[in-house]
Amino acid sequence: MDRPIAYDKLAREDRFIRMRARDIAALKVEQGLPPFPDLADRDAIRDRVHGILVGELQAMEGAGRTVYDFPDAPWEFTLDMARQVWDESRHVETYLGLLEHLGGYVGEFPESTILWRCACAEDAAARVAGVNRGLEGLACDVFNQLVHIARKIGDPIIERSVDYVLADEITHVRMGSRWLNELTRGDPERRRRAIEFQETIDERFNLNGTRLDGAHEAVPISIAHEARKLAGFTDEEIARLVKSTQRSQVY
Amino acid sequence: MRILGGWIALTPELDVKLLLGRHVWDCAQHADLWGRRLPELRAPAQESEPASDRVVRVLDVLERFEGRDQSVERVTAVYRVLKPHLATVYRRHLAVANPVYEPPTRRILERCIEEEWRHASAGAAVLARHLAGAGMAERAEACERRVLAALAEARGVTGDVEEPLVDATASAPDPAAVAQDLVEVPPPFDPGVAPADLGERLRAHVAALARGDLEAAERHVLPEARTAVRQEYARLQGPWTQAAVAGVARIGRYRVTRLRLDGAGQAVVQERWVPGDDGWMIAAAEVARLQPGG
Ligand SMILES: [Fe+2]
Ligand SMILES: [Fe+2]
Repeated sequence: MDRPIAYDKLAREDRFIRMRARDIAALKVEQGLPPFPDLADRDAIRDRVHGILVGELQAMEGAGRTVYDFPDAPWEFTLDMARQVWDESRHVETYLGLLEHLGGYVGEFPESTILWRCACAEDAAARVAGVNRGLEGLACDVFNQLVHIARKIGDPIIERSVDYVLADEITHVRMGSRWLNELTRGDPERRRRAIEFQETIDERFNLNGTRLDGAHEAVPISIAHEARKLAGFTDEEIARLVKSTQRSQVY
Repeated sequence: MRILGGWIALTPELDVKLLLGRHVWDCAQHADLWGRRLPELRAPAQESEPASDRVVRVLDVLERFEGRDQSVERVTAVYRVLKPHLATVYRRHLAVANPVYEPPTRRILERCIEEEWRHASAGAAVLARHLAGAGMAERAEACERRVLAALAEARGVTGDVEEPLVDATASAPDPAAVAQDLVEVPPPFDPGVAPADLGERLRAHVAALARGDLEAAERHVLPEARTAVRQEYARLQGPWTQAAVAGVARIGRYRVTRLRLDGAGQAVVQERWVPGDDGWMIAAAEVARLQPGG
């Protein structure tokens, strides 16, 4: 087995329709739809939940690859990544259930693989910075907002289950912060590159003005200040993220 | 543990993917327990080395089952051979581990034995779902023989295991315990999710592609897209004996379909359909996977 594998080796059943994120967004815009599903109605929530489901799958696959790809990394790092594989497998199970709860089916919306591509970074420090801090930080934003919206529309099934998943993601961000520090101790250049990689991911997942600092109902993806603080992001890092969402982005 | 983790991304079937995903953490904990026990026995912590080059070769055999279509081999090798073998070795060790001096080791052994058998049972349940196809059971048996032979050559994972390497007399674990390892996966794809009028056109389209009637298939393509689509269709090397709609996704009013054609080889075609005055028409098509016949 190669270490790491080419990103196009990601295997799926044929019921999954894989497309580039920018193509999906362009086809939506062409029909007068928002490029990224908002949470305006149950249909849009189902689209969002499907997107999270495939994200959880890719997170499980990415953590599994990290267990395999870095045999010389500290054992406790591998142990944390193995734990994450298990967590993500339970998240997949949760979101399979939520998709069914919302009357959807697996493969109902196309799958983009930007998350997986980020999980293919060659350096372990870049991978944990990008995936555990960048992408799981995004997961904190998305899940925190979903919990809020579910509470508002009176759907305790979504509210409770996503809240449990959010707790795990906060733990995964903490793992990312710990290993970013430990893997780059005494190597400021490696640390700088890893953080830069995380910041490109943060920028990319601002999704052309989709992630914004605002009320849960008012913006497509809101920034979860409290969850992010719990996860170990500093006030300064959160402020930097907020600032980055105010610039125009491309995806 | 590492191989299981690496395989998850390479495995298409959702139930197999999730089976592996469920077990990586258990395996990591087993390794961690042994690794922490080592310094208590005056060896360096968390340091392991293979008993011999032949043991390394056993793992090399396993790692080679990395192909997209080798899930049956992956599950067989790990769940029918390796894990039952580990449980066998652990049980024999437990039988001779001194109950006065070695309770720390005995506790680890007891936990590992129980969990390895539980994993093996979960693996058997998942494997059973994938053995129905033609030649699958034979493939699993051939794989089992191959891995067992490599293990026999190495004399087991520790290099000194007596035959039989897998002692099948172990009692089956509690089904309720096994259930925690099995994620209920959704039923197979139902082409009925496509809008009725699209479904009708899809059936005609799939049938045309299957019999190699590209002219008929192209009648479902928007005129402005025909040149590009024709180039994609030219890549399809039939003849096909089976054709099916494997997936339908929605992007607003559009639908994207995945069609699978099986013959000596296999092809998967992904097409975007848009509704219009002439009914559903194809705006784009690409061959997403091509597997030559052998
Ligand atoms: Fe997750
Ligand atoms: Fe996570």
